[in-house]
Amino acid sequence: MPEAKFKCLRCGHEYTGSYTPGTPQELTCPKCRSNSVRRLPEKKPAQKD
Amino acid sequence: MMDVGRHPNITLYSYSEVDALTGFVGNFHITIRRKARYVVESECTACNDCVEVCPVVVPDEYQQGFSSRKAIYIPFPQAVPSAYVLNMEECLGNNPIACGKCAEACEKKCIDYDMQDELINIEVGVVIVATGMEVYDPTELDEFGYTRHENVVTSMEFERLICAGGPTEGHFLRPTDRETPKTIGFIQCVGSRSENRGNPYCSNICCMNTVKDTLLLRDHYPDIEAKVFYIDIRAFGKGFEDLYKRSREGGVKYIRGIPGEIEENPETKNLLLTVENTTTGQLEKHELQMVVLSLGLVPRHDGDLLKRFLTLSNTVDGFLMECHPKLKPVDAPTRGVFFAGCVEAPKDIKDSVTQAGAAAARASILLNAGKVKVEAITSRIIEEKCNYCGICARVCPYHAIMEPDRKAKKAPVVIQAACAGCGTCAAECPQDAIEMRHYRDEQYLAQIEALMAERPHEHIVTFACNWCSYPGGDDAGTARLQYPTSCRLIRTMCSGRVDEDFVMHAFRLGAPIVLVSGCHFSDCHYIDAVQWTQKRVERMWNKLERLGIRPERLQLDWISAADGQKFARVMRELEEMLKTVTMEEIKHTMEVLSNGKAEKKATAAKKAKVKKKTPTKKAKVE
Ligand SMILES: [Zn+2]
Repeated sequence: MPEAKFKCLRCGHEYTGSYTPGTPQELTCPKCRSNSVRRLPEKKPAQKD
Repeated sequence: MMDVGRHPNITLYSYSEVDALTGFVGNFHITIRRKARYVVESECTACNDCVEVCPVVVPDEYQQGFSSRKAIYIPFPQAVPSAYVLNMEECLGNNPIACGKCAEACEKKCIDYDMQDELINIEVGVVIVATGMEVYDPTELDEFGYTRHENVVTSMEFERLICAGGPTEGHFLRPTDRETPKTIGFIQCVGSRSENRGNPYCSNICCMNTVKDTLLLRDHYPDIEAKVFYIDIRAFGKGFEDLYKRSREGGVKYIRGIPGEIEENPETKNLLLTVENTTTGQLEKHELQMVVLSLGLVPRHDGDLLKRFLTLSNTVDGFLMECHPKLKPVDAPTRGVFFAGCVEAPKDIKDSVTQAGAAAARASILLNAGKVKVEAITSRIIEEKCNYCGICARVCPYHAIMEPDRKAKKAPVVIQAACAGCGTCAAECPQDAIEMRHYRDEQYLAQIEALMAERPHEHIVTFACNWCSYPGGDDAGTARLQYPTSCRLIRTMCSGRVDEDFVMHAFRLGAPIVLVSGCHFSDCHYIDAVQWTQKRVERMWNKLERLGIRPERLQLDWISAADGQKFARVMRELEEMLKTVTMEEIKHTMEVLSNGKAEKKATAAKKAKVKKKTPTKKAKVE
């Protein structure tokens, strides 16, 4: 499974984890248990879609 | 089984598989592949003449390989119909016929080497799924030496060895020397209740199966010394505690601890178990002549096909998910589909029979009514707005929307009886060409406007799904848990209904924080609609960022109906976040989203991306 960077939009914690492409998974921040976890874009953060 | 075979209202398709299953409640179409058995079952009298002459000998699966059968055989003594089946892969040859002895021996001329699989199409109103489970394969647990030590057997193998109809005709013998063992150990939770290997869940039946086995041994072989190695004994059913007590009083030793290793004495073939007795804290060694691994239950390996056919989903353990764990425990989320037995979760015979009775009763309600009452919350296509992109048909968890025909300019059609009203199609439709009856976009937008009418910057707009997160809020209230009054709830049937327009509208009107909340993935009441929620929120985070709005202001949480604690905690955390959102920030957001230009630009960028990803949309005439 490929790895990606994730960022918790509740506490700001960033971490690396694996994910299955194309299949949304329930994500939980390991630090604050929030589900507002965003997989960060791989190349450029944000501007380009 | 005999009764089923004889029942005038039941057609039994034995030795058959479901090839295809389409349709919806009241209108399921099933294609059944009746596999060629190469024996005309209506003529076969099960006289055994063919078996006697068949020269092919293979291990008998039913007897767990402890005895053999022929290539032509009856799978097990009680099989219905009582007719032979010829395994063509084992047969010495059909084309050309190399052996043909069974055909020669059969007086009634039942053997037909040219028989072909037959496809049967049937129409049914409801479907009961009772496809059962499998047992855990213990080969990965190397410490128990199942593949190395012959006298380590599984609970299934033990069952055959002690059964009067088994390979030893009920004489309990150990495999290596065919002597009745004097000592035997049972190891519990093999493949169950383990986070690392096997499965984390309790398989429900293994404790009582072992208790039953020890009582059987007590009755037939009172001299055998039996020891049970366990984590804890779960004897929770009616009369079960009494059986457990009888087993202990009968001299069976229950040792709290699972052996870490089994070694074999190469000469005696006895087994040496090393175990930490967690009651005494002592490391113990036990020499036993035979060990039984009490296997856990696992979902069928071929269950995915059925899930696809019936648009079913499974819980984290892999067993099929029911419509509601408490209120609709035998209904599938797909209307007109019911569960019976271990396909839904590991359960014993009594629970399986109870569930089967309930499933039959639930099915007969629909069959007798002859029509289905649909709650008026289903979706409706607004044909004038539709551009035939077909996204709705692809996202529908129930496959309740028939694909549009772009060439013929035919809009998609919602099968009302199959639609469950989750609203995912309405939220995903880029043209806003789908309306949910009684949960229309206008109604939600009006609710948002009402919430934002006064002091909008003080309110956390919370979209909560009907089944989990809204009751989660209720649970917090019932438990008198304190959470901030800034929380403003808007109930949706499913979090999948939360349209991007709703979220942006709330921000446009001055909401500092918006929360989208729904069921956990494993609890989603609309199969996998929650996955679309996640995807959509991720898209919205990207869009907010493009617009220069902090994505953090859109929050996402999965809250179960019983998790009032989490609901309250999330609200307290969001209250803290709310304090970090400045009035300038809110004003900027309102401006960006109100002038429309920036938002249109961001949406256009998104739509261009959607177009790229949707090949059917390329040919669209706009
Ligand atoms: Zn966090």
